[in-house]
Amino acid sequence: MTPLQILAAAIDGTPAPRIPVFSSLLDQGPRELGLSPRDYYADGAKVAEGQLKLRARYGYDNVWSLFYVGKEAELLGCDDILFADDGPPNVAGFVIQSYDDIAKLEVPEDLTAHPAWQETAKCLNILRDEVGQTHPICAYLTASTTLPAMLMGMEKWLELLLTGPADLRDELLRKCSDFYRKEVAAYRAAGANVLVYSSPFGSTSFLGMKRFQSLAMPWMKRDLAPGGVANIVYYCGMAAFNNVIAQVMDELKINAHYISPLADLAEAKAIIGERGLTCGVIDDIKMIRWTPEQTRAEVRRLCEIGKVSGHFLFGTGVVPLSVPEENIRAMLDAAFEFGAYP
Amino acid sequence: MLDRIVKAYNEAVFETDKEAAFEVVDGALADGLSAEDVVFKVVIPAVEEMMSNITKDPDANLAQHFMTAQIAAEVTEKMLLKFERPPEIIGRVVMGTAHGDLHSLGKRIVMGCLKALMVDVIDLGVNVPAERFIDAAVAENAQVIAISAMMVHTATGDNGASKVRRLLHERGLEDRIKLVVGGAPYRFDNGLYQAVGADAWAADGVNAGRVIVDLIRALKKS
Repeated sequence: MTPLQILAAAIDGTPAPRIPVFSSLLDQGPRELGLSPRDYYADGAKVAEGQLKLRARYGYDNVWSLFYVGKEAELLGCDDILFADDGPPNVAGFVIQSYDDIAKLEVPEDLTAHPAWQETAKCLNILRDEVGQTHPICAYLTASTTLPAMLMGMEKWLELLLTGPADLRDELLRKCSDFYRKEVAAYRAAGANVLVYSSPFGSTSFLGMKRFQSLAMPWMKRDLAPGGVANIVYYCGMAAFNNVIAQVMDELKINAHYISPLADLAEAKAIIGERGLTCGVIDDIKMIRWTPEQTRAEVRRLCEIGKVSGHFLFGTGVVPLSVPEENIRAMLDAAFEFGAYP
Repeated sequence: MLDRIVKAYNEAVFETDKEAAFEVVDGALADGLSAEDVVFKVVIPAVEEMMSNITKDPDANLAQHFMTAQIAAEVTEKMLLKFERPPEIIGRVVMGTAHGDLHSLGKRIVMGCLKALMVDVIDLGVNVPAERFIDAAVAENAQVIAISAMMVHTATGDNGASKVRRLLHERGLEDRIKLVVGGAPYRFDNGLYQAVGADAWAADGVNAGRVIVDLIRALKKS
């Protein structure tokens, strides 16, 4: 079976030789090609090459079309990114400096015509041509309630969200939701087939349950309404969200969930059961200091919890550049070993 | 009366309702409570209550952390103008985000809580070089350097807290100045703070206030 077929089997609960094994090696791309981060991320062909080489080197199932998280802000006018040699690029200049800028924020009519989309499109074309028939191609899309943090900074966004004028807040959320709708359509059309819906504000780690229900849930419904939830994976930026999984499944109809390493995987698996896909995620920050044996033991633990009755995927967060290669190898060896079905 | 005020204020803070919190404070002043009592008997206990709730309550969230700190800082600032004499400051902290890190939210939450807890805070801003932390701490006679880092490479990299520790050591300042770190990576690996040479860490911005106050008190005792 191809990795794409193995993923489909995990979603459907049909027989497969093993669980899908996903890895997010993004920051490792520049090093893999011997380029500076600035040069690497400037060229979608390089990002695709980096992804393909890393996948070939380690043998996991997926590739990513994501350059770095701030890329979405560039599609909305950000032109100031801080590059680092030892970590991911970071939004350095916020598009929204004051509330007046919210009215000026423009969602591109045709996202795919925007200059900032061109390198992503180039990357996706290459990935689709090279592995599109056999391997999952992941895309990263930020929910409307979270995207403002990239446009105005988390501090100002929380201020507006919690104490600012509701009409301005809603105007910004509407624009971000419109952006999401266009973005998800563009990614789908370009061949991405695992769409990670990043919604940290869709967890009660960011907002309490009341605001989750009254604010986050309606906006998530708006985000997802036109495009539907096919191939969408619910992800809260590594925040725990077990207590909202049932609501997300019932109301948003999203059945694939990327569980935080801070959450109880067994609990999540019990909630999702055979109705959807549980993604067990290793704490890859701990992997910086773990030994290969510790890494292997944790992968085994996750697989033993998740593999029962199928519908399980093993995954990582964005693996930090400082995780030793021997731990990446130990993680993946263990995932294939303990993720095998008899 | 005080119990009623404390209860109403705590509820407003828990619900992240800034307007309601200020209404309680205005009502308390109208009922004859002094500005000092508002800070020491209402605001500070509320911050402490929130510290405890955050640890126990699985539904405690970032919005509550943020608003707890905001409300506490704003009420305290307003009340300080009405104090009969300036309050005794517990100590002084220099604070900023690690070199390469532009995430300022955690710093703001900690600063808000520290203001209410009567700790003087020197804000160095974001993307702060290690040398600047040291120079500012020495110049301002601070007992604590607090570094916020939201990204793995800024939390663990060579130019962040570990460099501050190295400089503290090289300049013979370790007995005088303590180093505290906070931010998401430390929550995922609770031993990471030791790996970067910090004396302490806090899992959230509100509890960072308590950690820093404890360090200042311990340092002053010694």
